Amino acid sequence: MEGLMTIVKEGWRYKGSGNVMWMAHRISGLGIMFFLILHVFGMSMSFFNPALHEIMLETYKTPLFAVGELGLAACLVFHSINGTRIALLELRPEWWLQQKKATQYSLVATVVIGVPMILIMAMASINHFVK
Amino acid sequence: MTTQPLGRTIRTVKPIPQARNNFERTMWLFMRYSGLALTLLALTHFGYQHIIVGTQNITTAQTVNNWGEAGKSINLGQFAWRAYYMAILGLAMLHGMNGVRQIAWDYIGNNKTAYTVFMGIVVLLSVIVTILGTLALIFGATAK
Repeated sequence: MEGLMTIVKEGWRYKGSGNVMWMAHRISGLGIMFFLILHVFGMSMSFFNPALHEIMLETYKTPLFAVGELGLAACLVFHSINGTRIALLELRPEWWLQQKKATQYSLVATVVIGVPMILIMAMASINHFVK
Repeated sequence: MTTQPLGRTIRTVKPIPQARNNFERTMWLFMRYSGLALTLLALTHFGYQHIIVGTQNITTAQTVNNWGEAGKSINLGQFAWRAYYMAILGLAMLHGMNGVRQIAWDYIGNNKTAYTVFMGIVVLLSVIVTILGTLALIFGATAK
């Protein structure tokens, strides 16, 4: 616990921007894993218990999950693009010289792909709930 | 490794020893390659269901339609859906479990009991859910 608090308090200063990306990658990954387990359970019920499968699909259509959906989209887009940067750079060490630029590009790509996605989903939810 | 007063670091270069822990090496490579594959697979899945179909329009009928009904023969399209989901399911679960393992090791690794109990719960939950999901993808959806 103490180690965790140190990370939360000092993590933002330690090593600068690279460390923030590293932490954001972990947090978004945990968020995706949490939903993945719930999602796979819900979908598997399509075979084992269709009534429960329907309940889970209907739960995803509630306002709470509509907000969570936006968070999931943000986590997924960021984790995918940042992860692609990590994978490409670590599998091609000669690209390490471009480390800073690659981080900036992946952030720009996250915003360019993520923001329109979130806007489209938010508009769909607003149109559905606010009528 | 010695540090000079100026703050420069001098490292003694030794030949790289043979990897003793093949599991960690395999998982390191797996995280990179599965991550690249999942970028394509998971983003297309999310984009299709949430943007093209729309969360409010996802129904049990869509599941039955895409996967094919349990106990009936399936067409090529339904086979493709199942193979696609099977690939995402397996890769994402292994990728996620290993990610959680690394995070748990970093923060509670010094407490063997907490680490073992936490990872036991995570692995048990993930494996059970993966088995349920795989069986559902093998047999298909039950029509109401």
